[in-house]
Amino acid sequence: MNNSYTSKWILQRITALCLIPLTFWFIYQCISFQYLDYKEMLLFFQSYFNSFLFLVMMILMLIHAKLGCETIIQDYVSLIYLQKFFKGILNFITLITLLLTIGAIIKLCLTL
Amino acid sequence: MIDNRPLSPHLTIHKKVLTAVFSILHRITGIGLSIGAVLIVIWLSILALGPNYFFIFESIATNLIFKFILFLWTLGVFYHLFNGIRYLFWTYSVGMGLKTVYISGYIVLILTILATLYVWII
Repeated sequence: MNNSYTSKWILQRITALCLIPLTFWFIYQCISFQYLDYKEMLLFFQSYFNSFLFLVMMILMLIHAKLGCETIIQDYVSLIYLQKFFKGILNFITLITLLLTIGAIIKLCLTL
Repeated sequence: MIDNRPLSPHLTIHKKVLTAVFSILHRITGIGLSIGAVLIVIWLSILALGPNYFFIFESIATNLIFKFILFLWTLGVFYHLFNGIRYLFWTYSVGMGLKTVYISGYIVLILTILATLYVWII
């Protein structure tokens, strides 16, 4: 149990560290996104470099968000069945968003 | 069944000192950005669905409420980012003196405001 909390704590810090440069990169890209139309957006994702960075950023972001929300649930919800309920919803949302991200980026990469 | 693990301090009872407010804000922005991450995934999915769906998003994006949410998101990202860097230093016990904690807190606030303004002005 304690090992699990420790490894999650370490993973939370590692994802945070990796997300620092990726967040700056994402915000920089977001500024240019507002001037791009649909075709130009496709071109952005057809660059393997951009798609790869975007995918890595999203995976790290979703894991970091999941770990953070899980800690908040543990800190503020005392009833175990409610904790399990909220954690179940969190795991479900994380899984769905991860799958959607991977699927969407693969599709955008392969769209001609 | 109640978990025996102690809960976090009750937010309404304790006196609000600056460090506590920063910690609460870090968690609030964290929750907000988690919702934001889900919205980014929805945006990405709409983009992957094709131009017809993306045009719907483009029409929503011109709405003032959308822009206000985007402004709050920018503010939240920068606050969580800079304060997160501050917490990473704390992980290695760097900058944990009482005076340093307050100075770094004010630096986080100034950087957050400046970075948000920079993104929205350029």
